[in-house]
Amino acid sequence: MKMNMRCFFKTLLYNKNVQCPDSRRFLSSKEAIERRHHLFMLEKKRQIEKVGRIEKIEVNYKGTPKECTLVMNKNISTPYDCARHMSEWHADNSALAVLDGTVYWDMHKPLTENCTLEFQNFTVAEPQQVNKAFWRSCSLVLGACVTAAFKDSVPVKLHSFPGPDIRSGSFIYDVDLPTLSDWKPTPQEMHTLSAEYVILTRKGLPIERLDVSEQLALEMFIDNEHKSSQIPSIARANGKVTLYKVDKHVDISKGPMISHTAQIGKLAITSVHKLSGSPDSDVKQLYRFQGVALPTGVILNHFAFSILIERAKKLNSARSPISPFTDREPQSIAANA
Amino acid sequence: MATSNLLLLCNSFNKLSVSNVVKRCCHYRPPRYRPPYWFMPKERVVSEDMLTQENRDFLAEVKQDKHNFQHSLESPLTNVDTPQTTEWTQSTRRVGVIARKIGNYPLWTKDGKKFQTTLLQVSDNHVIKYIPPDEFNPMKSKKMKKEPWKEKRTLGCLLVGAESIDPSTVTKDYCGMFTKVGMLPKRHLCRFMVSPNAQLPTGTPLYATHFRVGDCVDIRAKTIDRGFQGVMKRWGFKGMPASHGVTKTHRRPGNIGGGGEKARVWPGTKMPGHMGNSWRIIRGVKILRINPEHNVLWMLGVAIPGETGAMCYLYDTVLPLKKLKTPPPFPTQLNSLEIPQEYYDDCIHQFEQPTITFEES
Repeated sequence: MKMNMRCFFKTLLYNKNVQCPDSRRFLSSKEAIERRHHLFMLEKKRQIEKVGRIEKIEVNYKGTPKECTLVMNKNISTPYDCARHMSEWHADNSALAVLDGTVYWDMHKPLTENCTLEFQNFTVAEPQQVNKAFWRSCSLVLGACVTAAFKDSVPVKLHSFPGPDIRSGSFIYDVDLPTLSDWKPTPQEMHTLSAEYVILTRKGLPIERLDVSEQLALEMFIDNEHKSSQIPSIARANGKVTLYKVDKHVDISKGPMISHTAQIGKLAITSVHKLSGSPDSDVKQLYRFQGVALPTGVILNHFAFSILIERAKKLNSARSPISPFTDREPQSIAANA
Repeated sequence: MATSNLLLLCNSFNKLSVSNVVKRCCHYRPPRYRPPYWFMPKERVVSEDMLTQENRDFLAEVKQDKHNFQHSLESPLTNVDTPQTTEWTQSTRRVGVIARKIGNYPLWTKDGKKFQTTLLQVSDNHVIKYIPPDEFNPMKSKKMKKEPWKEKRTLGCLLVGAESIDPSTVTKDYCGMFTKVGMLPKRHLCRFMVSPNAQLPTGTPLYATHFRVGDCVDIRAKTIDRGFQGVMKRWGFKGMPASHGVTKTHRRPGNIGGGGEKARVWPGTKMPGHMGNSWRIIRGVKILRINPEHNVLWMLGVAIPGETGAMCYLYDTVLPLKKLKTPPPFPTQLNSLEIPQEYYDDCIHQFEQPTITFEES
């Protein structure tokens, strides 16, 4: 017994002194998620503290119930804070903010200068951008749901999701499941996935946004080789890497997202299709998870929704990131997402 | 009082007319309001859907396509199923049909005798599913005194539906039963106990020509709800005279018991109460005329339970003297293109024929 304890302490000592080069392999997926979340919170706190002296900006609010001018904090206040000044309905139902009539802004992104603010919910006259944001958010939450749904013994490596195309009929997320080479989900498993997704939506978790440097992004996604290879091209295209967080799940995406997950209403995760890559690439195959959802408050009978579900079951025609016939580099799909 | 009623009943029974309704139990069973645990509601609160006109038109198109597909489904099925593998025997029970009472009309025989007839329309019947005898396990109410035999069950159950409805007007659970078998939901459902060799595939349509003219059927339907009725209408009491000094007692029951040792009102004493809205089966109703184009059956008599527009369930008679003697269309009449306009019973006078004449005696 004493001999074993001595050996144990020796190995501990050795490990402490020796620098482990491949530290990512010892991170379990749960630990990786925790680490990413922790780094996100630290960076967010640092950015808020970096503001220093608080300056004021004037925000002209246009819309219901009446137009007014709000005095908000520069680089700290978000459109969500402005909405809370108006009413709880504004805070809950606004999905996207429009600055100066042109720029679409996340609800939880800090405002930088004097501007004109309008809120967009899902029943506006021109809902194209809101719908795209909604579809993008659905994909993001699908990624969160997939990481949570699988057992601990099954490693889940999220690859990417393409830009939103509502006309295709479903929102998608391409996931790499290295241990499952031939997985055909049963209808019961699809129901379970949908149930997991519904649990996430019912929590009403806000979707927080953060702009980080390439270095920090690489540090955060050290366990996921697909994301690590996409980050350099994303940073080159946009200058910085935009991260979105939904309650411990952090992901990369370019465009605006909706305010919180409770704005996702009726939904169904409809199918999982296998995408095969070229034999010389390092990613052999991806699983394309597809689903369809409606915003909260949209009333639709079950028969019409079943037609939508039937359509969403078919393989989405969006380009596969590992398709062997593409000329462009596959990572740029993620840059546009 | 009781014996006189019994005599009346016996007399009417001996006449064996269609108006004789055999009751299962003598006392009134009140309706049960709390549904069982497996009950799923059928109706759904229909709210205004957020759809553009384009989308509404598309949905209507989809429903129409499904409807047409369901109706066209019979063509390949009938070509495949024409070789009828099993023969009909006296003891085989074949499927019944759900019909709607649409009115009363007179018909005349060749002797000039007038009959009142009831028209029953077989509307859009389709077989939903078949449950074999060993799997069929119906819900048993606690009040059932006799335990039905389990091992000796020889009849399967065929679920038939009538009148397709818009799926968006019913709940998803109710639709689920139909979408499992690929059908649009139906308004009315009925179980018919059939012999295993009389089973039919899902989606088979049932027409009025399933029966032939001159056949006798049993009809099970809910009687007209007459509400709270007095003892004269409900039990056929004679009441008291309208005049000659009778005070305040014209339609009352009168005496309700005897004296002696058991000096109390006996349970089951006939008294005023709720009348009607109960399931009754009338036996041996004859079919006089069939219109295959509109799927209408003309039944002898007007005593079919229910008001005009109510549904009723028809199946071959169990009465021994009126049972089928010749093989009927078995398992059911398939849709054929060349069918006559009307089928008449031999005794019925057809209006196209020359008028009935009597010789002067």
